[in-house]
Amino acid sequence: MPFCESFEQLGRFHNSLLGVSDAPFVPKGFLNEVIRKRLLIDGDGAGDDRRINVLMKSFSKWCHSNFSPEEGFSQYQRMLTSLAQCEFSMGKTLLVYNMNLKEMENYEAIYADIETSITSAHEKIAECKKEIQRAKRIRKNRQEYDALARVIKQHPDRHETLKQLEALDKELQQLSHIKENVEDKLELRKKQFHVLLTTIQELQQTLENDEKMDSDDTQESLMDNGD
Amino acid sequence: MNSRKMGPVELLHMSVFSQSFSPCGRFLAAGNNYGEIAVFSLSAALSPDASEGSQKPILNFTAHDGPVFSLLSTDTHLLSAGNGEISAWSWAELIKKNTKAAWTRKPNYETSLEIPEINAMIINPKDNSLTVGGGDNNIHIMDMETGIFKSVLKGHTDYIHCLCFKEREGEILSGGEDGAVRIWDSRTNRPVHCIEVFKYEECARPQFGKWISCLATDSDWMLCGGGPSLSLWHLRSMSPTSVFPLPGCQREAVFYQDLIMSVGEGPNVSHCLHGGTVKAQIPCSPSSLNTLALNLKNTEHRVMTVGGSSHQIDVFTNFSYRAFSLSF
Repeated sequence: MPFCESFEQLGRFHNSLLGVSDAPFVPKGFLNEVIRKRLLIDGDGAGDDRRINVLMKSFSKWCHSNFSPEEGFSQYQRMLTSLAQCEFSMGKTLLVYNMNLKEMENYEAIYADIETSITSAHEKIAECKKEIQRAKRIRKNRQEYDALARVIKQHPDRHETLKQLEALDKELQQLSHIKENVEDKLELRKKQFHVLLTTIQELQQTLENDEKMDSDDTQESLMDNGD
Repeated sequence: MNSRKMGPVELLHMSVFSQSFSPCGRFLAAGNNYGEIAVFSLSAALSPDASEGSQKPILNFTAHDGPVFSLLSTDTHLLSAGNGEISAWSWAELIKKNTKAAWTRKPNYETSLEIPEINAMIINPKDNSLTVGGGDNNIHIMDMETGIFKSVLKGHTDYIHCLCFKEREGEILSGGEDGAVRIWDSRTNRPVHCIEVFKYEECARPQFGKWISCLATDSDWMLCGGGPSLSLWHLRSMSPTSVFPLPGCQREAVFYQDLIMSVGEGPNVSHCLHGGTVKAQIPCSPSSLNTLALNLKNTEHRVMTVGGSSHQIDVFTNFSYRAFSLSF
């Protein structure tokens, strides 16, 4: 019976779900019985199975036993309806099966989509992390630049200081020029005064000498006269 | 695992002074004022099924007589500095809960009467030497392979709080209680510059003092703070470019990407920008903080941990808020 195989598979699956495998205190046979009973009570497959069995039985009864034509015809009608019902449920299950297959395909496609978007998100995250590192480096460099610029701003401008230095240089030169001129003048005046003073002294000397000579002369002439 | 039973009063008075991450980045070692070092497993604490127990240390032992002021990790060892001595512990052994020190050495102190504490240690990767600074106002340099203390840098007039290393130029920066940041050339062991931060009006805070307790460098820039306000200096022009308006004295500051993070007095971690603005102040559980550490070696466990005057060490997975706390 095909159902027995599936029951066994279900039983093994149930075992694996419970986390037991050949565990002594939960025998496989017991679980199989439980699953079989459950499926028979709840499953739709039970109704069809019974209907087919009933159909087979009624068909064989209809063939073998002697019915009146009306009874036979009504039996025949009943069998046809149950056959139609079986066909209908078979069609239904076929459609459900196809639908499940299509849904599986759909889910596979969605799954693949999600996989690709996960990998692309991972890549984006890695990119963004690199960007953040770069941005942090840039921020640090900017801050260092700002800090240094602040310190440099505190010192006066170089051009200004150079200009001031040049102006001061010029002033210095002018002043030293003037100083030289004044010194030259002073020298000249000194020399002139010196010349003047020496000539005066010489003149004085000569005058004194003259006076002396004069007085000597008069003394000599007096002495001469006395003799 | 606990070498001493901690009563509630002792836990209340505990201060965490130093932290260091293991070279693989999966463990954190922290040193406290009782001389103990606790090793925490970050992978256990950060895993999705972490519990109360995973926030306790996997190993807790007494390493020194005095407080452990400084911890440093090399590729294989954890170096710890206590009262005047430096001990090295192999990380592999510590993970296996073996607490035997690989070696213990002392710098050559001038007087043998006092044993000065060691406040800061850094490694110079260029010549594989360990630079330590402490209470005797001098910086001692030890060669890691031979263990010989090859030179002493003298110049500070008071004890040294912090050390920092500029890779590109091979210069050592030291900040001390005397308020001076001195820059030394590591090849010639001669002083290159001396910046007296408290003499600059924009940084000085005479109500707090002139001592420098934190130093950090990032190529041409330097952070220093302590008594004076935390300030960002441009080293080429030796001028302060930004001063950060933080109320307390800062005890540790680091550069991280485009931010400056600093901890100090006050139960906050301050995030600042280079321009001088304080972007955010993140609250923490200790009432004042002594140490901040960033685990950049391991991308899975990229966390920031801070410790201070509490037996708890706050862990930040997103640097904007406290995730949970490890406790001694």
